[in-house]
Amino acid sequence: MARFKVDDVEYEAEAGTPLLRALDELGVLMNGVDVPHYCWHPKLSVDGSCRLCQVEIEGVPKLQIACDTPVRDGLVVRTDTARVQSAREGVMELLLLNHPLDCPICDQAGECQLQDYAFDYGVPAARMREPRRAAKKRQDLGKAIVFDQERCILCRRCVRFCREVTGTNELGVLRRGDRSVLETAPGLPLDNDYSMNVADICPVGALTTKDFRFKVRVWDLENVPGVCTGCSRGCNVEIGVARGNVQRYVPRRNDAVNETWLCDVGRLSYKEIGAPDRVRDVSVRGEHGLTPASLEEAIAGASKRVRTVLDEHGGAAVAGIASAHACNEDLEVFGALLDALGAGARGAPVPLGPSDELLVRPEKAANAHGARALGFGDPAPWLDRLGGGDVRVLIVLGHDLLGADFLGSEAALSEIGTVILLDTHQSALARVADFVFPARHPAEREGTLTNHAGRVQPVVRAVEPPFPAWTEGEILARLGTALGLEAFGSAPAPGPGR
Amino acid sequence: MHATPHVTGYLSEHFGDDAFVTLEGYRARGGYEAARRALTALSPADVIELVTASGLQGRGGAGFSTGQKWGFMPRGGERPKVLVCNADESEPGSFKDRLLMERGPHQLLEGILIGAWATGAERTFLYIRGEYAHATAVLELAIREARSAGILGDRVLGTGFRHDVVLVRGAGAYICGEETGLLESLEGKKGQPRRKPPYPAESGAFGMPTTVNNVETFCHVPEIVRRGAERFRRVGTEQSPGTTLFGVSGHIARPGLFELPLGTRLDTLIHEHAGGVPGGKRLKGVIPGGVSMPILPADQLDVPLANESLRERGTSLGTGGVMVMDEDTCMVRVACVISWFFRDESCGQCTQCREGTGWIHQICARLERGEGRREDLDILLEVAGKMEGATICAFADAAAWPIQGLLRHFRADFEAHLGSEGRGAGGRGRCPFPHSFEL
Repeated sequence: MARFKVDDVEYEAEAGTPLLRALDELGVLMNGVDVPHYCWHPKLSVDGSCRLCQVEIEGVPKLQIACDTPVRDGLVVRTDTARVQSAREGVMELLLLNHPLDCPICDQAGECQLQDYAFDYGVPAARMREPRRAAKKRQDLGKAIVFDQERCILCRRCVRFCREVTGTNELGVLRRGDRSVLETAPGLPLDNDYSMNVADICPVGALTTKDFRFKVRVWDLENVPGVCTGCSRGCNVEIGVARGNVQRYVPRRNDAVNETWLCDVGRLSYKEIGAPDRVRDVSVRGEHGLTPASLEEAIAGASKRVRTVLDEHGGAAVAGIASAHACNEDLEVFGALLDALGAGARGAPVPLGPSDELLVRPEKAANAHGARALGFGDPAPWLDRLGGGDVRVLIVLGHDLLGADFLGSEAALSEIGTVILLDTHQSALARVADFVFPARHPAEREGTLTNHAGRVQPVVRAVEPPFPAWTEGEILARLGTALGLEAFGSAPAPGPGR
Repeated sequence: MHATPHVTGYLSEHFGDDAFVTLEGYRARGGYEAARRALTALSPADVIELVTASGLQGRGGAGFSTGQKWGFMPRGGERPKVLVCNADESEPGSFKDRLLMERGPHQLLEGILIGAWATGAERTFLYIRGEYAHATAVLELAIREARSAGILGDRVLGTGFRHDVVLVRGAGAYICGEETGLLESLEGKKGQPRRKPPYPAESGAFGMPTTVNNVETFCHVPEIVRRGAERFRRVGTEQSPGTTLFGVSGHIARPGLFELPLGTRLDTLIHEHAGGVPGGKRLKGVIPGGVSMPILPADQLDVPLANESLRERGTSLGTGGVMVMDEDTCMVRVACVISWFFRDESCGQCTQCREGTGWIHQICARLERGEGRREDLDILLEVAGKMEGATICAFADAAAWPIQGLLRHFRADFEAHLGSEGRGAGGRGRCPFPHSFEL
C-alpha cells in the first residue's frame, strides 16, 4: 500500500493504481476531491485524451493527468492551485469552442457534465469569433441511439465501451484533427444488447436514447433507487419518475451486481409498470364471468370457497404457485398461509430465456433465488397432476401459467374448482380464475428481492399505481385472517389502495 | 534541389555515385565490413558502449542519445525484440532521409543490422513515408539483394545471427512519424500516439520490446563501428558530435543537402555553403529545423547549429530542415500556412491539440485576411501556451512553437495585418510583403 496526499489530506491505495481510480475507489472523487474528467470512466480503460484531469504533482514540472498517474508512496498531489484551475479553464474553453451553446433545447441539459464543468471551471464568454463547426444532427446510429455530432466532445467513452465491454466494436472515430467524428461503419449500426449504455456514459448530449430523448426534462424527474426485474441479476437502477409515471431506468452503480451497466431489455422493462394490460380491478367470477368486486367481497368469497374445500377434503387439496417475481416478504406470507392450511403442494416456476456473459441471466425473474430459499422449488414434478382432481384450490401469484406452458391446458385448470389469482398484469390465466386481485409491481412497494448470487436488495415505492392495488402479502394475509387461521389473527386490515 | 550535397562527409560522399546504390558497389567501397566486425568481434554490449561513447544523437528531431536508447532494450527474455526504422520523413523542410535511402540504401541496411545486433532484434520494420515511391523501390531492391547475399536472413553474414527487414509503407499522415503513432500505424491501426509509459523498449510494436530510430541515425552507425567513437567525435560539438545533413530550402541560391559538422554556424551554412539569399534580397528569417521549430530572425544567425546552442535561442535543430525566407515574406502568411498544416495533421485525440490547432489556424487565417483584432495576438500566444506540454505526444508543442516564434520575432508583421483594429476591411491590402509562402 502507498500513502499519498491530495490537497493535504492523506490517503492510502495500492501502489501503481492510477490516481483517479484510487480516488474513485476511496469514494472521494468528485465527492471531496474535485478532479473533473471526461474520457476517464471507472469501468473503461484509460484513454488520457481529454486532458481535463490535470493536477499538480510535487517534484514534476509539468501538470500530469490524474487518470494516468500511478499512485506511489509519498506522492503529493494538488488539485486546487491556480495552475490547475487555469489548465482546466483552457481545456473547457477549447471543448466549448465548437460546442453549441443551446442548452435549453438540448436533452442532456441538467445532467450534462459539460454544462456542470462549464459552471465550475469554464470561462464566462466565448472568444472565438469564427462560426461554430456545423455537423450532423439527429444521426440514427442504430436501434436505440441517436447521435448529435455537434455536441460530441470526442471523449471516446462510447468507442471503448463497444470495444471493451460488449466487444462489438460498432463505434470508431473517423478522420482526424478537428474534423474527427464519431461514426459507425456503413451497414454496421450500433446494435448490441447493451447499446443504450453509451447514452449513460456520454458526458454530453451527443448520444441519447430514442426511448427517452425529449420525453421529459431531467430536472422534472424524481430519481428513486430501484432494482430491475428483468432477470435474476437484479441490476440496480435509478427509476426516473415524472407526472406520476416511470419515465426511464438508468443503471445505478453497484460494483457487486451490475457495475455501471444495464442491458437494453432490462432498461426498457420499466414500460411494464405503466402498461395498459395491468390488472386494475378486484374481480370475482359469477354467472356472467369475472365481474369487479370490492376487496372485502372478493376476500370473503375466496375464503368461503377455501374453507369449504378444507372442511371436505383437508389442506392437501390446496396448492400454491408462487411467483419468482414477488418480493421475499410476500413469499414469506404465502409460505405461512400454505403452512397454516396444510397445503399439499407449492412451488415457483421460473421462466427461462437467453443469457450472456455480462449481465443477463437465464432466469427471467428477479427473485428466483429468494423463492427457492423460501421453500418454493420447481413445481414441474407436480404441475401435470393439477388437473387430476386432487387439487381443489389453487392460489397463484402473478404467473401466466397458460401462456408460459407451465400447465397442461385451460381445461385441466378449470377442473380445479377454485383458482385464486394475484397478479400485476393480465394473463390467460384470468380466463379460468375465480378470484383476481391486482398486485403491486416492485417499483410500487417496499420489499426485498434476492438476486441470483443470494444478494438481498431492497426496493422502495417509486410510483403509486393509478388504481387500487396491494402487495401479494397484504392480500394473502387478509385471506388468512378471513379464514380464521391462527397465524393471521392479528394481520392489519389493508387500507384503501394499499 | 540538388541530389548531390555540396559538402560531403561519409554519409553523403557517395551520393553522386550510382554504383553505391547497388550491393556490389557498396561492398566495393567497404560496405558491410562494419556489420561483419560488429557481429563477429563485438558483443551487443560492446556496440552499445561504442555508440554511447560516440555521443551520437538521434537525428529524428528529439536528439536523444542513440546508445542510451539501445541500452533501454531488455537483455534476453522470451519475447522477440523489434527494431523500427522511422523513414516516415514528413516534417516540411526536411528531405535528408529520402536522399539517404535513395542514394545509399545499403548504408542504411548496414546501420540497421548493427542496431539489430546491439538490441537483439530479430526483425526490423522499416516504416517508410508512402509518398516516397522511389526510395521504396530502391530499398525493396536493396533488401532483396541483401537477402540473396546472406546479409539478411537466418545466418546474417555467415554468423548465427538472424535478422530480416520488412518494408512497410505509410499512408500519408505526419503523425505516423511520431514514434508511437508510427507503432499504431504499423499494427494496422489509426495513427494515434500512445500514452507513455509503457515506453516502446518495454512494449512497442505488437507489444514487443521495440526501439525506433531515424534513418539518418542508423546511417551514422557503420562509420562509428568502422572508425571508432573518437574519430566520430572529432567533428561537431562536445554535446552534439558528428556531422549531419542540413536540408536547405526556401529563398536560397543553392537549395539542397549539406553534410556539415554539428555546430556549424547558421549564417555560415546559409551564406558560405548555400550561397545566401538570391536576387539581392535581404534575409528576413530562418526556420532552423523544419516547420515545427521556432523561426530565428536575421540578426540571430550567428548561432551554432546544435541543439544546446539553438535551445538558448528558443528553438531547436529538429530534423535539420533549414527554411530560408527573404525580406518579401509575409510572416502572417507563414503562420497561416504552418498552422493550417498542423490543424490538418493533428490526430485529434487530445483536446488542446484538436481544438487548439483549429482555433490558431482560424485566427491566423482571419489575421491574414485583414480581419484581425489586437487581442487575437494575445489569444494566439495564450492558446499556444496551453497546448505546450499538455498532450499525449509532442505534436501540440510542434504546432505551438512556430506560432510563438513568429510572434516573438515578427510581431510587427502581425500588427501590420490588423484590420484597422477590426473596424474596417482592407488589412490584406496593407500587407507590404509580396511573397506568398507555401509548404
